Amino acid sequence: MRLTVNGLEREVSAPPLETLLNVLRDELGITSPKAGCQQGGCGACTVLVDGEPRRSCLTPVVAVDGAAVTTVEALGAPGKLSPVQAAFYEQYGLQCGYCTPGFVLATTALLERNPSPSRDEILEELGGHMCRCTGYVKIVAAVEAAARGEVSDAALHAGATGPSREEPEVLVPGSPA
Amino acid sequence: MNSTDVLVPTSPEDAAAAFGDGAGITVLAGGTIVMPDIKLGRLRPERTLYLGRAALDQVARTDGSYRIGAATPVAALVDAALEPLATFAAHVGDREVRGQATIGGNLCAPPAETVSRGDLQAPLLALDARVRSVGAGGERTDSIDDFLEAGSDGRLVLELLVDEPRRAAAAAVGRPHAHAFTILGVAAAETASGLRVAVAGAGPRAVRVPSVEQALAGGASPAEAAQRALDDLDPQDDAVASAHYRRQVLPAVVTRALDNLS
Amino acid sequence: MKAVGARLPRYDGVGHVTGRTRFVDDVRIPGTLWAKALRSPHPHAGITHLDTSKAEQHPGVRAVITHEDVPRNVYGHLEALGVPADEPLLAEGDVRYKGQPIAVVAAEDEATALAAVDLIEIEFEEREPLLDIRKAFDPDSRPFHQWGAAFPHFGPYTSRRIRKGDVEGAFERADTIVQGVYRPQAIEQLPIEPQVGLSVPEPDGRLTIYSCTQAMYFSMGVVAAHLEWPLNKLKFVGGTVGGGFGGKVDTATETITALLALKSNRPVKWRWTREEEFLCSSTRAPWHMEIADAVTADGWLLGRKMITLHDAGAYTRFSSYGVTKHSFHHTGAYTIPNLRFDGYVVYTNRSPTSAMRGFGVTSVSYAAEIQMNRIAEVLGLDPLELRLKNANRIGDLTANRVRLSDPSTVPVVLAAADRIGYDLSPEYRQMTNEPRSGELLPEHLLASVALDGPDNDGKGA
Repeated sequence: MRLTVNGLEREVSAPPLETLLNVLRDELGITSPKAGCQQGGCGACTVLVDGEPRRSCLTPVVAVDGAAVTTVEALGAPGKLSPVQAAFYEQYGLQCGYCTPGFVLATTALLERNPSPSRDEILEELGGHMCRCTGYVKIVAAVEAAARGEVSDAALHAGATGPSREEPEVLVPGSPA
Repeated sequence: MNSTDVLVPTSPEDAAAAFGDGAGITVLAGGTIVMPDIKLGRLRPERTLYLGRAALDQVARTDGSYRIGAATPVAALVDAALEPLATFAAHVGDREVRGQATIGGNLCAPPAETVSRGDLQAPLLALDARVRSVGAGGERTDSIDDFLEAGSDGRLVLELLVDEPRRAAAAAVGRPHAHAFTILGVAAAETASGLRVAVAGAGPRAVRVPSVEQALAGGASPAEAAQRALDDLDPQDDAVASAHYRRQVLPAVVTRALDNLS
Repeated sequence: MKAVGARLPRYDGVGHVTGRTRFVDDVRIPGTLWAKALRSPHPHAGITHLDTSKAEQHPGVRAVITHEDVPRNVYGHLEALGVPADEPLLAEGDVRYKGQPIAVVAAEDEATALAAVDLIEIEFEEREPLLDIRKAFDPDSRPFHQWGAAFPHFGPYTSRRIRKGDVEGAFERADTIVQGVYRPQAIEQLPIEPQVGLSVPEPDGRLTIYSCTQAMYFSMGVVAAHLEWPLNKLKFVGGTVGGGFGGKVDTATETITALLALKSNRPVKWRWTREEEFLCSSTRAPWHMEIADAVTADGWLLGRKMITLHDAGAYTRFSSYGVTKHSFHHTGAYTIPNLRFDGYVVYTNRSPTSAMRGFGVTSVSYAAEIQMNRIAEVLGLDPLELRLKNANRIGDLTANRVRLSDPSTVPVVLAAADRIGYDLSPEYRQMTNEPRSGELLPEHLLASVALDGPDNDGKGA
């Protein structure tokens, strides 16, 4: 079977019923989609198939023969993040990071079809993605910041030369910082 | 993965021919039920019939009559705006799951050990849908009642035929989470053959509640008729709710659906 | 001090959003085998027959382990702290919770491993399970654990005991007794990353173990103990955990994969499915707490009697530690001078419980707070004023004999009241956490706050 993955045409030797998740992770070495539940319940395995977010754990590879699959690796890399990636980074919309690739891809697809989602729309559209660390507040803030284009240059270029070490902005006036 | 034959028909006719009488065939459409079972080793298909390229995913509407291909994604049913099917479809999984899951897979969902599935059976019952299928004995079109009664074993569903109802309503109760299984779903529709009311979540599959339908035909108010629902149903404990809870809540959900009928 | 109050970028954020953060499941070592476990389908049963030979001979299977392959099968997580061991790594002779691992297979791929598990021959003799802690605690019940119905190693006692002051006297002097029963249920931590471990046998005879544990040095000790190896033969690689919340302090993936790696001489990965996580990973325990408080009509808590049953599940793990922490906090953020507390670690045929966010303490905080509301309702007093009156203050002595130096109960309650616009009388609005005096130091509290009171030596009653 042949798929285009992150812009590259790849020949896949896995059997037709192998999950797209396993094909990406084990055969192609693309490990950003995660095996969180393998029942379609958590969204950690989400990838874009022809631009649409889909659960790669539920997708037999035969279903994407000839399709274009996108994972977060294609959105941006350290030093050159996409606006959605930069927003999640800057707004602390992540902690352990396990759910992050799924959320970033689903958000990227959401903003492409709906550039100014309301908060209710964000909650509805991303409602299938689970995060156990953040409590979702900062994730929603990241989506809203990305939608409004409120992403700093520093965030877009984060990771260019190792961990970002700019002067921190002091949140508590009068603190001994 | 152990080797397995995967057949990929490119037309409904090819799909029917490949299915034959269904012996030893695992049907795979959206994969939302079959793939997790394969992953856990609960299902080890010998020959798999993949329907994703068999041109069974179209919704056609002519003069208020719908033909819905069995492999139509649930998301497309939301867009097609045929009630009460569209409302039930909007609550299946989340956006991503709806993009993959199919109406055929939902219709033929085997009841899971711990929770009932196949929510869309309820609006299809309310709509008096007809099910065109192939299998041993050839092609036939059954009423949805007959099809669900007989079960989908040995049948490959090709399409559903649904006429637009005069009135339609849906009401459901479930936890407010994208993946929450519906605890109870009630679909009601006024069709050419009269008012039909069906309940999902109160048994291994969705069923009509004829006692409610008769009470309404006899002039009862929605609240009075709703009380009769328990004559036809015997809710059980399962992973999402207790029988006690379902019994308490069922009349209220039926009332809500009947009140919404418009 | 530049970091305090500053907005610091997360050093791991770029890795997370670009998919480059490497979790254990993302580590790629050529030749890695997949592990799958045979788990008990019964909550309580004897194992009458176990034969792994067909699984071992199945094509693609490289190793199968049972309890016979574990140099030291029974090792207690708290043994280093002097608590005897009770839990086998792999079941030996009986199974005591549904999901308990009996044998584990390592094979070339996941499907082969699953098929091989089905080939293991096993027969059980089912036994009556004890699933409710009250029933398990009943004297007429037949305990299944070798130590009895409850953990018996709290020194010479079968409960964590706190005895302070004269609780019977307090109950005699009380105007009212207020009782409450509190039964919070188990909670699964549900990190999005399931438990996973990868062990790699090195040519020099050591093992490299990639682990998702929250407690790496602790896990090293556990592996070393089961294998009877010196620590310097182990190299642990940890640090990137896809959520733990207390559910990854008792991982067994490291030891199991280590044994399979040694037996097969291949790297072995064991990744739990979400179903396994729900079935038998450790959860926050269910608790049963009964509180009786001796109170005066004007809102003083004179004394508390409390009994806690903690559902440890089938084995002890860290439960004795959890109940000990629980005992220290059983008065909540309030000073109660006369106490009688007994906390029992009760065994049931359920998966062993462990930590989840505030191990042992969330349960008792919940109970203590609801109990305060209950007392306020019974006495017809304002619930915040009741709290402020009894709140911990500087110099108060806690349940476990700690003399408080700067408790924040009063300022926090006042700040919260202010934020929500809660009306408090001036007397209460002006309270501080300064040492008790005047009306805030009635006679019954004198022994609790006396400066020449009992030594803060931490010794229990």
